[in-house]
Amino acid sequence: MRLQFTECECFSPQEKRLADLAAGVEDRFRVEHSRVFRLVERFEGQKPRIDVERALYFTKSMEKTVGQPLALRWAKAMMHIAKNITIYVQDDQLLLGRAGCIGRYGVLYPELDGDFLDRAVKDLPTRTTSPATITAEDAKIVIRRIAPFWKGKTYHEALNAALPPEVHKLTYDDPEGLVSRFIVNETSSFRSSIQWVHDYEKILKRGFNGIRKEAEEKLAALDPASPVDQVEKRPFLEAVVLVCEAIVLWARRHAQAARKAAAKEKNPERKAELLLMAENAEHVPGNPARTFYEAVQSQWFTQMFSRMEQKTGTTISNGRMDQYFYPFYAKDLEEGRITEEKALELLECMWVGMAEFIDMYISPTGGAFNEGYAHWEAVTVGGQTPDGRDATNDLTHLFLKSKREFPLHYPDLAARIHSRSPDRFLWDVAETVKYGSGFPKLCNDEEVVPLYVSKGATFEEALDYAVSGCTEARMPNRDTYTSGGAYINFAAALEMALYDGKMKKYGDIQLGLSTGDARQFKTWGELWNAYLQQHLLFLRAAFTQQYIVNKTRARHFAQPMGSAMHDLCMKHCIDLHQEQIPEGINLGYFEFMGYGTVTDSLAALKKIVFEEKKLTMDQVMDALEHNFEGHEDIQQILRSAPCYGNNDPYADAVAHELDRVSLEFSKKYSKELGIHNDLRYVPFTSHVPFGKVVSATPNGRTSWFPLSDGSSASHGADVNGPTAILLSNYRTKNYGYRDRAARMLNIKFTPKCLEGDAGTEKLVSFIRTYCDLKLWHIQFNVINRETLLKAQKDPQRYRNLIVRIAGYSAYFVDLSPDLQNDLIARTGHGSM
Amino acid sequence: MASFEDGKTSGIVFNIQKYSVHDGPGIRTIVFLKGCPLSCLWCSNPESRSAKPQPAYNQGRCLGLDKCRRCLDICPKGAVSPGPGKSVAMDRSVCKLCEAPVCASACPSQGIIIYGQTKTVAEIIESVEQDSVFYSRSGGGMTLSGGEPLAQPSFALALLRAAGKRRIRTALETCGHVPWETLSEAAGLLSSILYDVKHMDSAKHREGTGVGNEGILENLDKLLAKFPNLPVLVRTPVIPGFNDSEENAEALGAFLAGHANVSFEALPYHRLGTQKYAFLGLDYPMGDISLGQGAAETFQDIVDRTRV
Repeated sequence: MRLQFTECECFSPQEKRLADLAAGVEDRFRVEHSRVFRLVERFEGQKPRIDVERALYFTKSMEKTVGQPLALRWAKAMMHIAKNITIYVQDDQLLLGRAGCIGRYGVLYPELDGDFLDRAVKDLPTRTTSPATITAEDAKIVIRRIAPFWKGKTYHEALNAALPPEVHKLTYDDPEGLVSRFIVNETSSFRSSIQWVHDYEKILKRGFNGIRKEAEEKLAALDPASPVDQVEKRPFLEAVVLVCEAIVLWARRHAQAARKAAAKEKNPERKAELLLMAENAEHVPGNPARTFYEAVQSQWFTQMFSRMEQKTGTTISNGRMDQYFYPFYAKDLEEGRITEEKALELLECMWVGMAEFIDMYISPTGGAFNEGYAHWEAVTVGGQTPDGRDATNDLTHLFLKSKREFPLHYPDLAARIHSRSPDRFLWDVAETVKYGSGFPKLCNDEEVVPLYVSKGATFEEALDYAVSGCTEARMPNRDTYTSGGAYINFAAALEMALYDGKMKKYGDIQLGLSTGDARQFKTWGELWNAYLQQHLLFLRAAFTQQYIVNKTRARHFAQPMGSAMHDLCMKHCIDLHQEQIPEGINLGYFEFMGYGTVTDSLAALKKIVFEEKKLTMDQVMDALEHNFEGHEDIQQILRSAPCYGNNDPYADAVAHELDRVSLEFSKKYSKELGIHNDLRYVPFTSHVPFGKVVSATPNGRTSWFPLSDGSSASHGADVNGPTAILLSNYRTKNYGYRDRAARMLNIKFTPKCLEGDAGTEKLVSFIRTYCDLKLWHIQFNVINRETLLKAQKDPQRYRNLIVRIAGYSAYFVDLSPDLQNDLIARTGHGSM
Repeated sequence: MASFEDGKTSGIVFNIQKYSVHDGPGIRTIVFLKGCPLSCLWCSNPESRSAKPQPAYNQGRCLGLDKCRRCLDICPKGAVSPGPGKSVAMDRSVCKLCEAPVCASACPSQGIIIYGQTKTVAEIIESVEQDSVFYSRSGGGMTLSGGEPLAQPSFALALLRAAGKRRIRTALETCGHVPWETLSEAAGLLSSILYDVKHMDSAKHREGTGVGNEGILENLDKLLAKFPNLPVLVRTPVIPGFNDSEENAEALGAFLAGHANVSFEALPYHRLGTQKYAFLGLDYPMGDISLGQGAAETFQDIVDRTRV
């Protein structure tokens, strides 16, 4: 049976592919990609399984090293894992290296959440956001063997204990700090590091043996009389040596396993493949890569071992793959060692490995932040070379082609755009966007590069940035900050300004400042002042929280492997998780949650209550207290006010000021933190749980409904089309401040409005204009609303439907109903 | 000075639509001017036909009389009364359309709206110019549409002159049923023109649109002769049972033969405007009729083939 698309007249290639699937027609890309299709079919649709080995071996080693220097303990634990963890050789795979069992799997990081891991393991299979399975036997290991050691020792417990009461009450809902208030939410305890990019090129060129040699030379040169050299530097360098040996040992174990499998293999073709895989694993990542295949294998070993070292937020990003792989690719092509098809197959074998690894969030807060098994190992393509020329090459286009043909949403592809990006590249980007699964996301060199130079980078470093995680940009040898920042719910500040420092969700608790009875406010000035006081209170709490985070984390986390790959850590012999790395640039950020919600609410009150006097504060408060029930007319009048996202100067002036006061605070107090604690608008999926604590707001939003996401407009509020939302973003940014970080912007198009070559051309000029406006990030969903509604009703048939959510794409059917509705409610810009 | 006078010139528009990508090159803003000399049966913008502002009632957005009675209470002429169920009935013969229609501004939910607002050239150009950064990248600009934009000749010409002064490229969508002098003056200010030809047979044309096609075809002939460098896009909305015959397509192809700077586009009939008929209290004259699959493409093929 064919899917009936009655209301839509134009479909994206993804929608057509889904219709084919439902009709039982063979995927048209299957023939060219038969190996990876076979690999994918084995795990697609599986509920992820938790593999406890990493956690178990890590814990067993850490138990024995209590009291020793942390980096060294971590390296010993990595060596213990490398020696003991089960090694897998997967059918059909051309790459070696997994962190756990065959299929869709995730691993545990008890150093993060060991204090409540035992409880979480019981809930995990049944929770609505991102569930996972665990065998009864493994659950027993977690509860009896792993969790007990960590109780009383985790970073999370230390942070919970260290927060002053006035900060704690805005952070957590319970004394143990297990449940977030979703007001000034800390994010440093559910990941060991924020998103990160390693300098993979260094491994391809020097190998871990090269780094080990450097560390050994440094060890030999240490001053035996210097206490700093002996107490600080020696254990760090010993840790580097040990971790370099560990990854090489782990790779060698894979080589042995592949040889063993080859000996048993009957099929001569597969036997040859296995032998080649074994040879690769004997050579890399210890030594420099000699071929494209070795380079891919070396990079894969590195990122997989890194995943076992720590939980990096959104998992470790891949850096500028089209740049560091290109010399190997070009050489192999020229010397006839490889074809375009073979190179693509190797890369796609890597995408399969990424797709199987799930970034497991044990805490309910973490799970809510990253719905749909979210992880996005951003692969960066395009952009500029370190000396400022266009950097696109044949591999850039190969990555884009793979994105259109590979059946899964991995890897997350990020395209760097600059003012001289060639038309060929932008055309290819636009065609890929039109495919409809949300890739690639775009990042703007014209915003990022000058901003990073202003923060202290050299032009060469800034021009060579890699997109990391959702929307961030990393300079792998200059960035040194790894702590997650606060997500601040400014819609809660608005609610507190209306209810004298209280929130309906939390009853009589005086969470915020007492700013008076909103019903008595006579002027806009009084209301704005009440809001501003709550806003600044939250910022104060967030910065205090971050100060404690910075002090506390360095005592709980080390990453000898990540540090081994970092120029500054090696130069100064210091672990990357330490609070200050000499010469480093600390790019941190805090999050503005509910930008559109707060802006529209304030604009509505300003205009309708205080200027036009169409409504009184009493009328508004009555309506809010009743969640607009029986007050639908008031709700509609409030909704008719100017809204952010329409290039409306009235609303945008409010948004601009909200941005400015936040930047001003950051400018003043970041220095004390010793970091750039910059203003960012990138919520992942957290605008949904943050909305669940905020009652009705004066923009007509009903209680517990999601907040606006990132720098996008409130749901359905942008009625002037996509040019207006770009211009609103442009108008509301304070370009004079350097204290700004990423702004995430979602645009939804219907396929009809991008139809044909004319549609592609218009999308290209739209992207060029985004670049001209110096907006940081943009991403697109190209889909018919009807398709989303149908997928919600019939998840089985639409299990392959990929949608763009935050900085990443996910299967629509993996999302919670709340988030699905949120996505459907976002304004789609159709053909006008 | 002309530009100063132009800025103050005002006219009646019923919509300014940003990010238009289907009518003219690049990313455009369409300014819809009210009033049209034709009365096409299939018209998808019924709110464009009368030259004057018109009240409209959208029951889907109306909160219902149980929740809100503002329009009933405020109308000075008693033109609004309770309708079936919780809805509102509007007596358009009584409505005198107040200077600033109070019912529409009192309505919280845009259940009552007024199609058509008086705006000055300066106001419109300011709005159009907001998207100039998109025009420069995409080759887009301002498109005047309607209704028939040249039915408000001095206003339309002032808009075109004002856009030209600000280096905004302009396009015009016209039915062609306008005085040649007006069309000629407008053409001199345009970057491109979209020209509708609805039927090659004058009697049939009159049946479907209320007027014969002699003036329209004559104007098109003159336009092509006088402005050989102006890109012209001739368009035919393909209406089932009216103009979708092979014969009509061939006649049009023959007419266009020999003109190099003219392109042609067949537009498939659609029913997207039907809801607006209901808002205006009008019946939709086309009923449930629909265009056969591929009919517009066939029409396009015949015209293209006949032209060569």
